[in-house]
Formats: sequence, structure tokens, C-alpha cells
Amino acid sequence: MTTLSDASFPPGTVITGKWNRSRYTIRKLLGRGANGVVFLVQRGENGKHYALKMGFDPIDLQSEINVLKSFQLQRNHEALRQSGIPSYLKDVDDYAVRGRDIPFYVMRYVRGEALHHFIRRQGTDWTLLVGLRLLQRLAQLHQAGWVFGDLKPQNVLVSDYGHVELIDYGGVTSIGRSVKQFTEWYDRGFWNAGSRTADSTYDVFAYALLMIHILEADALKSLAADGLPQLRNVNQLVLLVEKSERLSPFRGWIIEALQGRFKNADHAAKSWKELMARPTKVGRRSRRSTPRWLKNAFALSVILLIGVLIYALRF
Amino acid sequence: MKQILLITDGCSNVGVSPVLAAAEAREEGITVNVVGVIDYGTIGELGSREIEDIASAGGGISQIVGTRQLAHTMQMMTRKTVVQTIQQAVNRELTQILGEKGAKTVTDLEPSQRSQVVEVIDNLTENAALQVTLLIDVSASMKPKLAAVEEGIRDLMLSLQARVGKSRLSVFHFPGRHSGEDAVMDIDWTDDPGRVRSLFGRLQTKGATPTGPAIQKVIDFYRYGTLEKQQEREGNYRIEREGMLGDNVV
Repeated sequence: MTTLSDASFPPGTVITGKWNRSRYTIRKLLGRGANGVVFLVQRGENGKHYALKMGFDPIDLQSEINVLKSFQLQRNHEALRQSGIPSYLKDVDDYAVRGRDIPFYVMRYVRGEALHHFIRRQGTDWTLLVGLRLLQRLAQLHQAGWVFGDLKPQNVLVSDYGHVELIDYGGVTSIGRSVKQFTEWYDRGFWNAGSRTADSTYDVFAYALLMIHILEADALKSLAADGLPQLRNVNQLVLLVEKSERLSPFRGWIIEALQGRFKNADHAAKSWKELMARPTKVGRRSRRSTPRWLKNAFALSVILLIGVLIYALRF
Repeated sequence: MKQILLITDGCSNVGVSPVLAAAEAREEGITVNVVGVIDYGTIGELGSREIEDIASAGGGISQIVGTRQLAHTMQMMTRKTVVQTIQQAVNRELTQILGEKGAKTVTDLEPSQRSQVVEVIDNLTENAALQVTLLIDVSASMKPKLAAVEEGIRDLMLSLQARVGKSRLSVFHFPGRHSGEDAVMDIDWTDDPGRVRSLFGRLQTKGATPTGPAIQKVIDFYRYGTLEKQQEREGNYRIEREGMLGDNVV
């Protein structure tokens, strides 16, 4: 029996839906999630571009599709409509290949790159803006009754000009249930900082860890790997944040988030926005002052200019 | 729903076959999952074969992992098995409703019907009552891995606690202090993560690995609710039998 992970679907492969008979041509592999593989496809041979996700397990994938369907049913919900999520799902079908059915769904294709790649390429100056937009996305989801769950850099797509989109809805859980899917680094339970019940502060905690990860990856890595798991706690994280130069613009905010002081993502987003109003500077790069030789050279050129002017005016 | 999660790193060597014991568990409606845990070296072909066979006989799943992935694997397996158990029940119902010619499994259904059935499965997965017994091999070679096992138990407890449905966990280890003691209960049914602390700190471990008899002991634990009740019942049975004998004699 072939499994999805060893079956290869090279670019050019045509996928025909078993039920709806729609055809999609694979252009390239976009990525691998916890419960499936995502391809860039074109409808027919050269139609519109979409993203197509094949699931490892039909039940898991259907569960994810059901969440996306509920978004569509809730399309009148103001917050959701603003987020653009309801128009995400385009088609659901099975692909019959090599004697088995692989379930798939087709969604809107969003061009962009994962959050950590974006920040690395564009610079940490973008952190405040992109972070705010991410928090607003989470707040919209919470208002509609959902928790994102598996928040990590790979699941946040940023396009040019810092537009933010959440991808991979496999962890989305309705508020009050147990979080369906999570990644230990960002998980509140992993840090002995609370339950795994989906509530509006779960994502805010994960968001704080995401920020620490993006700006202090090495320190976080050693903290997660070393020491006894039962001793792992929020105070260790707080200490890390207090010591970090790069996290200093967000220090107060992140500590509050780690300690669960924000009642929901909306509250957290508003508080984050206040950081933008203050003239704080992000990262080491922008703290760098003008080098002395440049100052001296400038002074010399001014003196020369004055000298030349005086010389010129005298004659 | 009832599950046994066996955590071991090698072959059993005493008593009844663990594969037979797992088959008995399945007969009692208890699914048996097995995690083979290794850090250095391999489990060996015999060991990994046994691990696979125990899970197959017990209607569950098996996986061989390093200590780093242990917590995650325990949590995933438990959840997956819950979904599987419900799925099997739903598949049986489907055949009942749709007949032999209809869809045999959820995946045979067309997407819109599948959506409704999966919603039911999801609800049951979250709401059904769940009991998990962890059965930990503490033979000498497992000793360096027990800290990771403890972390795994704590983590599993946390995930179970977040469910809407009632979830309880109990912990056994094997072998016991003396021969004849196949498995020892460390934690009775609980939903309190605070109780999972320094479980195996003072253990004196011995060589033998009576995996089969240990599984049977846990089956009895499920049958009679608690060990005390089981002993009480065994006691009563003896009295009844002795009484009967007495009657016969008289």
C-alpha cells in the first residue's frame, strides 16, 4: 500500500476529483503540515492558482474541512468577514490513485512567506506591525468562537507590506474543548503555565512564545531542551525576556502575556498597539549611531565649504 | 472507552505470552497500545516484532521512539485510538443502516455526508468518557528512561484533563519487588496531574520482564474497578468455594 508520504506527485500531475470531476494540475509542493501535504495547483491546465491540501487521514482532514465549513456558515459574522477566512474553502473531493482514495480540499492561494523567514529577510523593524496584524487575526477568530491552537511561525504567512494570513486550520478548536493540535514549544501546558483547554488566552500565550522564538531562538531552544521538565515554568521564560536586549521593546507586553494577564486576544492586540505609539526602537540594528569618522568627515567638509565661500566672496 | 498504554524497551521473558494477554484485553473491550522506547542501540528484531504483535492483538497501535518524542507519542496515540474506536463503532452502524451494498466505512461516503458523520465522531472523541491505564516496564534497561516516562505521563494527564468528557488515568509498573508480584499499582484512577510526581524514584528494579502477566493484572483491575474490590472478590470467591465444599462434605 502506498502512503501519502512516499507517493510522489511531480509537477504536471493532473488530479481529478472523484465526486465533482474538477481537474487540477500540480505546479509545485508548497509545504507539509501536521496532517497533510499542500501543493500549488492550477485549475484545469492553466486556470486560476489555488492551494490544494491532501490529507494523511480522511477523518482528520474532514475534521479540518468541517471547521472551514463552519467559517462559511458564519460568513455573516462581522469579525470573520473582516478576516477573509470564510472564502478560504473552494472544493472538497477525493483523488483516486493507485487503488486508493486520497482526500483533498482546495483553498485560496496566498502568496507569501512564513513569519520567521519574513522577519529575517525584512528585518526586525517589521515585528511590531506584523505582530499587531497577527493578534488582530487571532482576535477575529476568537470573536467567532474559535481558538487557533497550533500557532507557530510556519503557520503564519506574511506577504509583502506585512499582510498577515493564518494557514493550516488543523488545530482550530471551538472554545471550551481540548486543543486539537499543538506544538510543544508554544504550548501553555508544556511550560506548566496552564491547561490545554481552548480558551481565548491559549493563543496569546503561544503568540508570546512565537515572539521569543523569532527574536531569541537560541536562548529558547536551550531553555526547552535543558533542565527537568517538571521544573519548566513561566519564571524561566520571564527571566529570559528580562535579559534579552532584542526583546526589550516588547518586554512588558510579553511578560504580561506569559502570566496570562490579557483576558483575550483583542485586549492583547490593543495593548500591543500602544507599543507602536511610543518611540521605542527595535533591535540592535537601529540603535547603531552614526560612526565617528562620518561625523568628522562631515565637520571637515563644512569647514572646507565655509573656507571656500569666504575665499570666493573676498574676490 | 478503555485503553492500556504499555511502555517497554524489549522482550518479555516470564509467564504467559503478552500477545495472548493483549488479545484477552481486546475481548474485554480494552484497546492495547504499545510504545517501544529506545535511546541508544536498537530494540532488536525480536523485541520490535513483539511490540507490533501486542498492539495488533490488542486492537491498538505501536510505535518505537526515542525519549525526546515519548511525551508527544503517548498523547498522539491515546487520541488516535479514541478516534479509531469511535470510527469502528460508527462503521458498524453504517453497515447496519446502509446495508451490505452501501458504504462500508466513513471514507466511502460522499464528501457532504462524510462531513456530518465526522462531526459526530469529533463530538464523541471530545465527550466520551475515557479510562487509560499506563503500564510501565521498569526493568533495569528502562531505568535511565523513567524520567522521560514520568514527563510523558504528566503531559498525557494534562491533555486528558482538557477534554470535555470525563477522563481518568491510572499507572502500574512491572515487575514488582518479588517474583509472583507481576505488576504494582502506582496511581489509582485520578484526574489530578498533581499526583503524577516522582513516581519511580525509589524503585528497586529486577531482571525479569513479565509483560504478559502484567497485562492480565491490569485487565483484572478494569474488570473489578479497583484492586481492593478485586481482592475482596477473590476472597469472597474463596469463601464461597470453601463454603460449597463444606456443604458437599456435610
